[in-house]
Formats: sequence, structure tokens, C-alpha cells
Amino acid sequence: MASFRYAFRDTFRLLFRHWGLSLLTLLTAASVLYILGFASLFAMNMRYMISRIEGALVVQAYMKRGETAEQALELVRSSPLVLSVRAISPEEALERLRAKLGNQAQAVTLLGENPLPWSLEIQVQRAEHITPLVRDLMVLPSIEEVLYAGKLVERLATISRASSAVSGIILMLTLLISTLVIFNTIRIAIYSRKEEIEVMLLIGATSTYISLPFVIQGMLLGAGGAILAIFGLWSTYSSAIEAIRSTLAFVDIIDNRRILAQFYVFLFAAGATTGWMCSWLAVHRFTSQSMRSR
Amino acid sequence: MDIRLSGITKVFEPDIVALEDIYLSVDSGEFLYLVGTTGSGKTTLLRLISREYLPTRGQITVGDRNLRKLRSSELPYYRREVGVVFQDFKLLPNLTVFENVAFVLEAMGIPPKLVESRSNEVIDQVGLWRRRFLKPPQLSGGEQQRVAIARAMANSPAVFLADEPTGNLDLRTSEEIMRLLLSINASGTTVIVATHDQYLVDAYRQRLVELHNGRLKRDERRGRYFVDGEL
Ligand SMILES: Nc1ncnc2c1ncn2[C@@H]1O[C@H](COP(=O)(O)OP(=O)(O)O)[C@@H](O)[C@H]1O
Ligand SMILES: [Mg+2]
Repeated sequence: MASFRYAFRDTFRLLFRHWGLSLLTLLTAASVLYILGFASLFAMNMRYMISRIEGALVVQAYMKRGETAEQALELVRSSPLVLSVRAISPEEALERLRAKLGNQAQAVTLLGENPLPWSLEIQVQRAEHITPLVRDLMVLPSIEEVLYAGKLVERLATISRASSAVSGIILMLTLLISTLVIFNTIRIAIYSRKEEIEVMLLIGATSTYISLPFVIQGMLLGAGGAILAIFGLWSTYSSAIEAIRSTLAFVDIIDNRRILAQFYVFLFAAGATTGWMCSWLAVHRFTSQSMRSR
Repeated sequence: MDIRLSGITKVFEPDIVALEDIYLSVDSGEFLYLVGTTGSGKTTLLRLISREYLPTRGQITVGDRNLRKLRSSELPYYRREVGVVFQDFKLLPNLTVFENVAFVLEAMGIPPKLVESRSNEVIDQVGLWRRRFLKPPQLSGGEQQRVAIARAMANSPAVFLADEPTGNLDLRTSEEIMRLLLSINASGTTVIVATHDQYLVDAYRQRLVELHNGRLKRDERRGRYFVDGEL
């Protein structure tokens, strides 16, 4: 236990002896992790939007007034592209409308006779199944109108694939940069204590004991950078949510505290782990070199 | 702890033979001078015993450890039993006398209170109590030497190796240091002192081993002579 106390004391000595370098490393790690976090959040949101829309990959076919849905139902049931289909009677449609209107439900009674037609709610498996299905439905004489969100979904899917690829590349780059920066800082710290480490090895300090302050230093820098990045992301993201809410109300953006918290925890762990691994590598390389008996 | 060297040869790349076919046996609690001219192999011999070097040929055992078979995970624990006073001291210039001694004990995981009391104790023993908050560059050669001794004895090693501990020191200081080494030996520690200080060797008669060009030239115990190879 005493060893940990000494290690922490030495860590802080190291951090403050090279405070300029520590600060620089911290800021680099922070900005790199910020970029990583930003790209990941963007990709996550794209995927989320698509899943929301895909979850409702629904084509709605409205019959002409007075027509029943039977003919259309038959056609749809025979199509392999369709996941499920439901015929909605005018009565059911009216009920739904009431439910949707909530407080203003009484307004429906003003309509008098039910003006709503039969309709079909068709769920397809994938966005690209929509276009052929719509084409088939349109030729039926009983169909009045077909509504669907196909084009939007297709475009979103393209953007999502691109953003996933970009954030993958950014992930690689940021990990590489933060690894190099932290590794280098720790190496400089090690060289500043080169003499001391060599004497320590000669008088019987274990390499674990020698490594500890450096490993803690690397972890603190990585984790500290992550915390800064998380603060930055958190404030950017909350203002982004605000801005989108007020201008693009129809866009679905992730605002689930649990998902965001998990994401931030992940980012923190990534920072700390990178710091830990880099410093361990740097110090291990050094001690095993010095320990080698000639 | 006793020390046994059998058939030790140390060759440095490419072909410097620093030691050749050395047989030497030092009993637990013995005091031994290692003498010889510069370049005769004294430092190399000490470094083989502290396992800084591995021998090219031959075996070294210290206590019940065969140094060649020592795993790297065991090495730190072995070195804690061997106190070394390096020829160039290897003191850390940015640390005070107290810190130079304390950090060795800290590295062994000893709790802070004990580190403090033991460091103070050995610093007092080597007579540097009033210098304990100075840094090595502010000390004289003899004082630095005593810091190095204090550091090496701090964790009460079973074997104590001192490499020219009186080199470049005046007579009075050398005698003080000799008395210090003898007192360490008096507590049962095996002590090997590499030196070329003829005066000390004569004044404080102890077993004497002489190296010459990497070979054992004589091994003299309390006046008895052993010609080389006749051990
Ligand atoms: N690390 C080394 N690499 C190459 N040669 C060395 C090394 N250490 C010592 N030597 C050589 O070994 C011989 C013995 O050196 P050393 O043990 O230092 O002698 P002493 O301590 O008696 O002066 C010398 O010729 C020296 O140059
Ligand atoms: Mg020497």
C-alpha cells in the first residue's frame, strides 16, 4: 500500500516537473477525443434516425371512397417483399384520429358521417422494397393514393454508410495520434528520470514499482483529456439539440440520457485505456532494456 | 551470506578478457579486500556478484542462489540483499541526502514512518545528520561517499560490496570510511571492498585477494599466502 502512495506522489511530481508538456498532452488528448466523440455521435444519430424511420417502413394505401380493400389486400399478401399488412376500416381510422387529437377529440363528431376511406398499412422489410410495391399498387383501380417515406430513407441510408466509414477512419486516426502523443510524453518523463530509474533497478526496485508512476501519469493524461472532451461534447451536443429542436423539429436526434451517459463513459474508458497502454509500453520497453544483463 | 565463484571468465565484446578462470570462496560474515591495478577486473568481479553482468563461463552462487538461474522477476529481491557502493556513487543530484537514502527503502514498499526512522538512523551512523537536507553537489567527496554507504546499508543487506570507497579521499576520511565498513562487517554482513589503497590494506589487516590482468594472483588470509590456483 505504501508503494501506491509513493507512486502517486511521484506521478504528481512528474506531472508538475513537465507541466507544459503535461498540459500540451492533455489538450491534445482532449481535442483528439473530442473529434472522435463528435464523429461517433454523428454516426450514432444517423443510424438512430434510420432505425426510427425503418422501424416505420410503412406504406399506406388509401382506397377510393366506397371501395373495400379486398383487391389490394390480395395483391399485397402475394408479394414476398411485404413483412405484414393490415386493413384498416373507416371506423378504426376514426378511432385513431380521435386518439391522436386527444383534447380536441370532440371535433371529430363535427364531421358527421365518417368521411375516412378503407386503407392498408403495409410494412416492408427494407427501404428498397418500397418503390416496386408502390408501382404495383398504383395500377389497381381501387387505390386512391399511396403514401410512403421511401426516398428519404434511401438517402439517409447512404449518408449513414458514409458517416460510419468516416467515423471509423477518424477512430483509427485519433487512436493513433493520442497513442503517439501520450507515448512520447511518457518517454520524455522516463528520460528525465533515467538516472533515477537505473539506480532504482540496481538497488532492487521491481519494474512494477518503477513503472507505476508513469503508468498512472499516462492514465491521468488520457482520462483527463477524455473528461475535457466529454465536457466539450456535452455542451456542443446540448446546444445542437436545442438548435435542431427549434428549427428542424421533425428530425429525430438522440436525447436519451442513458445512451449518452453510456457513450461518455465509453469515451472516458477509451481515453484512460489508451493512456494506460501507451505508458505501460513506453516504460516496459525502457526497464526491460536497462535490466538486461550484459 | 557466502559467495562462491567457480571458473568465472568474463569476456567483453569483442575480445576483452576482463576476468579469467576465477575461483573464489567468501564465507558468510567475512571481510575481504579486492586489490589490483586499474583495469585488473575488480569492478567487473563486483558487478558479477551483484548480477549486473552475467559471466561468460562459470558459476556464481550467493547464499543458496545460483546467479545464472536467477529469473528476472527474482532479481530485484536478490539485489535487496546485496548492498553496493558504486565507484561513481550514483547519487541522485536533485535529491537531498535524506531522500537519496529514503527512496531505496520506499522502493521496497516500506511504510513512510519506518522509511523516515531508518533513513535518519543510517544517516546518523555515517555522521551526516547535520547535512541531511543538503544535495550531493553541495557535499565534499568524502561526504558523498558516506551517503552512498548509508544508502547501501539502509535495508541491512546480507552482502555489502564497496567499489573503491576511499578513492581520492584524504587519509583521515579514508580511515573513517574504513571504520564504517568494519562496523557493517561486525554486524555479520559479508563485506568485499575493492581498493588500491595500500595504506588501508596494511593498516586494517583482513583477508586480501589480488587480481592481475583478470587473473587471481594471490589470496592472503591473515598472513597466510595462497599462490594462484592453489585454493
Ligand atoms: N562494460 C565493459 N565493456 C567492455 N570492456 C569493459 C567493460 N567493463 C570493463 N571492461 C574492461 O575490463 C577490464 C577490467 O575492468 P574493471 O573491472 O573496470 O577493472 P578495475 O575495476 O580493476 O579497474 C578493463 O580492461 C576494462 O576496459
Ligand atoms: Mg573499477
